[in-house]
Amino acid sequence: MNGCEDKVASIERWLDGELSGAESESLRVHMVACAGCSEARRRLEKLQSTLTDVLLSEAQPVDFMPFWRAVQLRINEKRPWYQDALDWMRGVLPASRLAWVVPAVIALLLAGVSLESYWRGGRNAFATVESIDAYGRNVALLREYDTKTTVIWLYQDQEGENEAAEETAPSGPAF
Amino acid sequence: MKLLKKPPLRVLLFSLVAMLAVAVTGTAQTQPQNIEVRIGAILASNQNDEFDARLKGLEKQLRVLKYRSYRLLTDKSENIPRNGNKVFEIPGGRSLMVTPQEFQDNRIALQVRLTDGKKPLLDTTVRIANKGNFILGGPPHEGGVLVLSISATVQ
Repeated sequence: MNGCEDKVASIERWLDGELSGAESESLRVHMVACAGCSEARRRLEKLQSTLTDVLLSEAQPVDFMPFWRAVQLRINEKRPWYQDALDWMRGVLPASRLAWVVPAVIALLLAGVSLESYWRGGRNAFATVESIDAYGRNVALLREYDTKTTVIWLYQDQEGENEAAEETAPSGPAF
Repeated sequence: MKLLKKPPLRVLLFSLVAMLAVAVTGTAQTQPQNIEVRIGAILASNQNDEFDARLKGLEKQLRVLKYRSYRLLTDKSENIPRNGNKVFEIPGGRSLMVTPQEFQDNRIALQVRLTDGKKPLLDTTVRIANKGNFILGGPPHEGGVLVLSISATVQ
C-alpha cells in the first residue's frame, strides 16, 4: 500500500460505479499487481456487502409510503406568492444593493409628498374669501369652476356715488 | 449577515442629503421671505370688441365676466416682505393696500383694502394658491368698469 493511499478513495468510487471506463480499467490493472490495494478492495467489498444485507433486512418492515407521500406533497405544494416575491427580491437585490433601499424609500416618500402637495395645489387652486367688508355696498362673490376663477364684484351703491362714471357704466357683469 | 456590516459611505451621504432636503422643504414652506404681489388693472366695457393681447393669459378668467372689451390699463408688481404692506395706485384715483399674511399649505392669505381717496370701498382677506390670483371688479371707470387681477407668488 506504499503510495497507494489515494487509491482507496478510487476503489470506493469504483465499487459505487462512479468511475469512467478508462479509470476502471487502470484501477483494475493496478489492483491485480498491488497486493495492498487488492486487500483493500476485498475489505471494502465485504463491508459493502454487510451493509447492504443489514440495510435490506432492517428496511424491509419500514413503511416508506408516508415518507414518499410527504415528499410528493412538498413537490406539488404551491408556494405562496410572498415566497416567490422574496426569492425574486433576493435575486434582484443582493445584500450590497439592499443598503440603498433606505435612501430609495426616503426619495420615494419625498416624491409622494411633492405629488400630494402638487395635487392639493391643483385642488385648492380656488381663491377662498375669508372675510369681506364692503362698507354697506352690495357685493357679489362668484366662483367659476372651469377656469377656477374667484371674482369679488363690488356693485355701485344706490346713493349716487361715483356719479362721474355712472352714466355709461353697466351696473354689473352678466355672470 | 452582510447587512449588519457598516453601510457604504455613499448610502449614508445620500440619506443625509435626502433628510436635509426634507428639512429645507419644510422650513421653506413656512418661512417665505417675500411675496411678489402683482396687480393688473383692466378696463372692461361693452363699447367695442377689443381684447388687449397683453391679457392673453387672463382671457379665460376675464370672459367669465361677459363684457365685450378688455384693455390693460396698468400692470404693477411689488415684492412685499412678510407682514409688510404696499399701496398700489389704481386708475381713477383709487388705491389698493395689500398686506400678505400667513403662508400655509402652499396658499397665501392676502388682506386687500380698496379705497377711493380716503373713502374705504372694500376690505377683504382672500387666501389664494401660490402663483394664483383672484379678480376684484366693479368700480366704474371711463364708461366701463375697473377689473383688478390680484396675484401673489412666494419668493
